[in-house]
Amino acid sequence: MTEFKQRKLVIVGHVDHGKSTLLGRILMDFGKIPQEKIDKVSRTCQSRGIQLEPAFFLDALQEEQEQGISIDTTRVNFEFDGKRFLLIDAPGHLEFLKNMTSGASGAETGILVVDGYDGICSQTLRHLKILGVLGVANVVVVVNKMDKAGYSQSRFEEVAAEIRAHIEKEQKCLSVIPISALKGENLSQSAKELDWYKGLPLLAQLVEHTDAQCRLDSEEGAGEPFRMIVQDVYRFTDERYFAGRIVSGQISAGQKIFFSPSGKESTIAAIETFPATQKETAVKGDSVALRLKDQIFIERGEIISLPEESPEVNSEMEAKLVWLNSTALDWTQEYLLKIGTAEVTCRLEPAGNGGAVENIVNGDFVDVVIKTRTPVSFDRGNKGGVDKLVLCTTYETVACGSIKALSSHAGIKSAKSKNIVVESGFVRRQEHEHKHGHKGAVLWTTGLSGAGKSTLARALERRLFDDGYRVVVLDGDNLRSGICADLGFEPQDRSENIRRVAHMAKLFLNTGAVVITACISPYEKDRRMAEEIIGEEDFNELFIFCPVEVCQQRDPKGLYKKASGGQIKDLSGLNAPYQPPAKPKLRLDTSTVGIEAEVEAVMKLLHSKGIKPAPVGKEFVAGAKYNSGINKASQ
Amino acid sequence: MTDYLTHLEHESVFIIREAYKKIRNLGLLWSMGKDSTVLLHLVRKSFLGHVPIPLVHIDTSYKIPEMIQWRDQYVKDHGLRLIVGQNKAALDGGMGPDKGRLVCCGALKTQALLDTIKENNIGGLLLGIRRDEEGSRAKERVVSPRPEDGTWTYKDQVAEIWNHYNLHLPESVHMRVHPLLHWSELDVWEYIQREKLEIMPLYYSNADGKRYRSLGCWPCTGTIDSCATTLDAVVEEIRLTKTSERAGRAQDNVDAYAMQKLRSQGYM
Ligand SMILES: Nc1nc2c(ncn2[C@@H]2O[C@H](COP(=O)(O)OP(=O)(O)OP(=O)(O)O)[C@@H](O)[C@H]2O)c(=O)[nH]1
Ligand SMILES: [Mg+2]
Repeated sequence: MTEFKQRKLVIVGHVDHGKSTLLGRILMDFGKIPQEKIDKVSRTCQSRGIQLEPAFFLDALQEEQEQGISIDTTRVNFEFDGKRFLLIDAPGHLEFLKNMTSGASGAETGILVVDGYDGICSQTLRHLKILGVLGVANVVVVVNKMDKAGYSQSRFEEVAAEIRAHIEKEQKCLSVIPISALKGENLSQSAKELDWYKGLPLLAQLVEHTDAQCRLDSEEGAGEPFRMIVQDVYRFTDERYFAGRIVSGQISAGQKIFFSPSGKESTIAAIETFPATQKETAVKGDSVALRLKDQIFIERGEIISLPEESPEVNSEMEAKLVWLNSTALDWTQEYLLKIGTAEVTCRLEPAGNGGAVENIVNGDFVDVVIKTRTPVSFDRGNKGGVDKLVLCTTYETVACGSIKALSSHAGIKSAKSKNIVVESGFVRRQEHEHKHGHKGAVLWTTGLSGAGKSTLARALERRLFDDGYRVVVLDGDNLRSGICADLGFEPQDRSENIRRVAHMAKLFLNTGAVVITACISPYEKDRRMAEEIIGEEDFNELFIFCPVEVCQQRDPKGLYKKASGGQIKDLSGLNAPYQPPAKPKLRLDTSTVGIEAEVEAVMKLLHSKGIKPAPVGKEFVAGAKYNSGINKASQ
Repeated sequence: MTDYLTHLEHESVFIIREAYKKIRNLGLLWSMGKDSTVLLHLVRKSFLGHVPIPLVHIDTSYKIPEMIQWRDQYVKDHGLRLIVGQNKAALDGGMGPDKGRLVCCGALKTQALLDTIKENNIGGLLLGIRRDEEGSRAKERVVSPRPEDGTWTYKDQVAEIWNHYNLHLPESVHMRVHPLLHWSELDVWEYIQREKLEIMPLYYSNADGKRYRSLGCWPCTGTIDSCATTLDAVVEEIRLTKTSERAGRAQDNVDAYAMQKLRSQGYM
């Protein structure tokens, strides 16, 4: 009897390396092509004066046959050794990459075809990377056209070693197998021309290498977090049904469920079917209709989970994309983000702090931050939940990608706090900056108590304000009296204090402001965390140095006195550690430099970083006037 | 454990629900054949027994007479809404297969379909086509937008990634939605058997040992030799056959790319 589960494989690789030939040949050898179709293709090939091309069984379009190229993807079911296979043919030409991706998105395992004669080519590697973005981690390589490569073992090994090295960077190479697709060698049976190859023939290996995935599929989501994407709510009678698909995990009638992003809760009264049955449990892959115990208002786009393992709700996420459109990515344009059944308008920003990456076109990979107009729910990083997305213009899908896992520090809290809705400004930082005529930055002062952080912060605030900058001061003492009032001075609390200040700084930074923080921030590790949260590019560490004896003399808050009297046990630099920064952007010794010079030094730093466009030069102004004069004259 | 047919069923139900949610005035193109029968059943599965969309039948007037009788009876029995489309002008002008099979298909099926879509302001149709029927269908997407003239831009189809279908459409465009695209002929028959669906008797072998494997217009659709008089026998026969399903369809074999040409102009 044939196994229930289908093993889904996609055949990818550079143009003309023999993908369709491989699939066509397998089907032909197993008698899956009806005789009339063989006759028809034979006639076509004869009339063109070419040998029988097994690729034509797949490449059925006239244009495909005339040019010997696959334009679009197709898929065939194939049974072998009692196993059910879905084999997806993908075109290799860069121009048809969206078709390749459409096909490959249906697969769990990749078969990468490399021409043994020509070796690895541009699309070989691009297809490999696309499989990575699509979450296809397991790849079987066939080195094809071994007949053309003289069945040379050394050539095979050369190609095999090279492709293995590429795959093992991010994916897993299950096997590399020499074949001749055209001659049907080493597909279902070993070939004597390739007797030096000791492994099993291709099909036997495909069975072996997909067994694990097949076993996983048989578990039907057991042990995974439950996720159902809501498509629609029906009300054909008095009852309301929540229709959708389970994309991971399982659910049973009677269980409590949670909706994201709305945050509503309910209990499943029944899993409804037609014809009516007593369906108790629904599993991954099922399209279901739920009847609930309460009458709640829910719309398409929500994700249903168990209350204790709900997805994240956020309006910002980092993703790796592959661009699939000839029109380049436009950082100023809005796109429609589709994730699960949710659709929301978004904008893209380059991830990291590398600035805008120009001219992302068809076939390019790019890391982006997606900012959505309203919060959406999703999972992060390939955990089998809802972490795959596409980006669309009005009528077209222009990119696809997967959401990345959180980086270590920024995620400290989000692991604890569930169902938090993070709204981020929809006006982009660049727009703020453009409007206000200067860039945002964070000036992070660090130094002992009494070293002069707050003094500098106040003087800088005034100077920046007077010069027309938007400026915000986050002063440690002020914050500790309010937002951080729950924190003490133990290392963990100091760390949490810094984390909060860094996140606040980041929020202001995103509105294009110049943010000055004034906290002791004694630990190197915490300052690095702040740097990671804020972003290296925008984080300016200013070491406000002052010898501890001078601080003691100044003692503006009387802390040193209290500490030496034993009333304070954890004053940095005295009876608690202070770790000076190794590489600050600026080191200011306040015991020798005056406040005005300090301010000048910081302003110089900001200008050297291009905080404000240089004052407009005279020639340019004159030119502009001249131009406007012409315009007026001509109007 | 979810078996393969159930897996296909759930996938199709997802597609049907997407289409129903997104497309204004969705219809189901119904030829009364085995595929449309399965499709109709899947619509009922999707909507818990309800059929909230009309059926659309394109009547070429050359349909095998039993088909029309069966159609009317079925619609009556199940209380369904049926829209029948026909290219009367072409028929009055004497259109028929003798004018050329492809010309006839173009007028009586494609044009009739496009006119019906327009007259009824239909935004999209569920169609029961499958990849394994013939080469150009093998290259289809689950969702295929068609401008007013019905043309299929098969050389530049939009990306369709994971389960994200492009269902937004401008006013003048209609959507062809293919929930059975990934099914095989055998899957369809096994599903009919499993779900015990009512199917037109023409699919069963008659006293002369002939049956239809595919239903169409009588001048262009041939029967096959068969002794399959029951559903189980038909399923068994399909499981073993080596000839293709549409071998009995004359229009497919007019030239090497006949179906591609027809379909690029809007044929189903
Ligand atoms: N000598 C030799 N030629 C082969 C072999 N496999 C494929 N070819 C030839 O390579 C050419 C391209 O084969 P296809 O199968 O169309 O290549 P493809 O990878 O599907 O190409 P695209 O889909 O257009 O990217 C055809 O002319 C095949 O006959 C092989 O094993 N040996
Ligand atoms: Mg090909």
